[in-house]
Amino acid sequence: MSKNTLKICIGTPCHLMGAADLLEAVENLDYNLRKKIELKTSHCIDNCCDKAPVAEFNGKVYQDLNPEKLYEIINKNIR
Amino acid sequence: MELVFEEFYRSIPKAGEEVCGDNVEIIKKEDKTIVVLSDGLGSGIKANILSTLTSKIASGLLEKELPLNEILSTILATLPVCEVRGIAYSTLAFLIIDQNQELHLIEIDSPSAFLFRNNQVQKLNYSEFELEGKKIKEANFKFQKEDQLFLVSDGVTHAGIGGLLNFGLGWDGVAKEIERTVKRKQNDLKYSINKLVKVFNTFYGDQAGDDFTIIGMKYRKKRKLNIWSGPPLKEDDDSLLAQKISAADGKKIISGGTTAQIAARELNRELEPGLKYYDKDIPPTSRMEGFDLLTEGLLTLNKVLSLLKKYKPGQIPVDGRDGASRFTRLLLESDSVKFFVGRAVNESHQSLNLPINLGIRSQIISQIAEQLRRIKKKVEIEWF
Repeated sequence: MSKNTLKICIGTPCHLMGAADLLEAVENLDYNLRKKIELKTSHCIDNCCDKAPVAEFNGKVYQDLNPEKLYEIINKNIR
Repeated sequence: MELVFEEFYRSIPKAGEEVCGDNVEIIKKEDKTIVVLSDGLGSGIKANILSTLTSKIASGLLEKELPLNEILSTILATLPVCEVRGIAYSTLAFLIIDQNQELHLIEIDSPSAFLFRNNQVQKLNYSEFELEGKKIKEANFKFQKEDQLFLVSDGVTHAGIGGLLNFGLGWDGVAKEIERTVKRKQNDLKYSINKLVKVFNTFYGDQAGDDFTIIGMKYRKKRKLNIWSGPPLKEDDDSLLAQKISAADGKKIISGGTTAQIAARELNRELEPGLKYYDKDIPPTSRMEGFDLLTEGLLTLNKVLSLLKKYKPGQIPVDGRDGASRFTRLLLESDSVKFFVGRAVNESHQSLNLPINLGIRSQIISQIAEQLRRIKKKVEIEWF
């Protein structure tokens, strides 16, 4: 089982603000990193649509993301 | 059991041409269906214009329900004649089928129709007469529930010339191919048409030597579709709506992430959001037990509307595995569509400053309904 859970919001606002790029970034992660992460999507995380795109990594919500920021978050918090 | 007449066609242009010289017009009226096929002489733009002109004139006159003789003489008098070859610039075949399944078919210069009945293809009993110096073939018969009828342009009966055969398939060869293909999946007309196009194309060595068109027709059972989009104004209606769609008869779609979450909560089912982007512009679809499709809301609906606007009756519905294409396909494959539309404003969308015509759900759904009515689907909308 993967120890880490990443949830990416694909609701309309997050989609428009680049959720697809985040999903792609996760798929392109280094294999050793990728296999430790269970990837899920959601229709809304935390109702903070004005700060899209939003993702949740290991229970913590991150807002206003882009692939670089997401990569940093994963690298810092991976178990 | 209510039946509906369904028809599909595909037109393939001659290799190297952008447009097809054959044209099909299908008109659905309350009590009848009119199908017109015209094949313009030659290929390319000239043939396309001629066949479009001919089929438009014919379908327009037929729609006005003028007496048949008058329609025929008008068409024959207006059909342009080639100065060099002395023959009409385009062929014409049309049929009218009414509520009582009585079919009336007229053919001018086009290949005889193929009737699939009792597991074999047969020729119709034609009567011939002459009008304005033209030989006209006419057939009247009662279309039975299990029958399938195929009309083709001469590009089909000539399939193989310049390819695998010296003289083309001919009527009997085409009949054999139709029989073989239809027997394989009798209930799936779309499959038959797609498969036959592949077969004829293969006889041409994938380089069609002429424009070719095949139209297939048959009866099938009516299909129903239910769509829920948007949270209701009153929160109390959440469970009412969820129960309503869950109990509805026919296929079911939920459009909108929030709506899907409400349905999952009220019906106590698990909602599985999808991960896969088939089209970068359309968010992934989700899954839930008891529903055929769960899509994102506004963007998908807008795309569905634009796909519907491009659709011409009789065409085979769009391919594609993204949410909007699947949504459109379900709409086109159904005969009566019922929308349950919630009008609550989605706060999250307000932060996006979407252009006003993209952002209002009720407007988009009304426009989708308008497009569906254009192709004679029965549409009902209930607002909540």
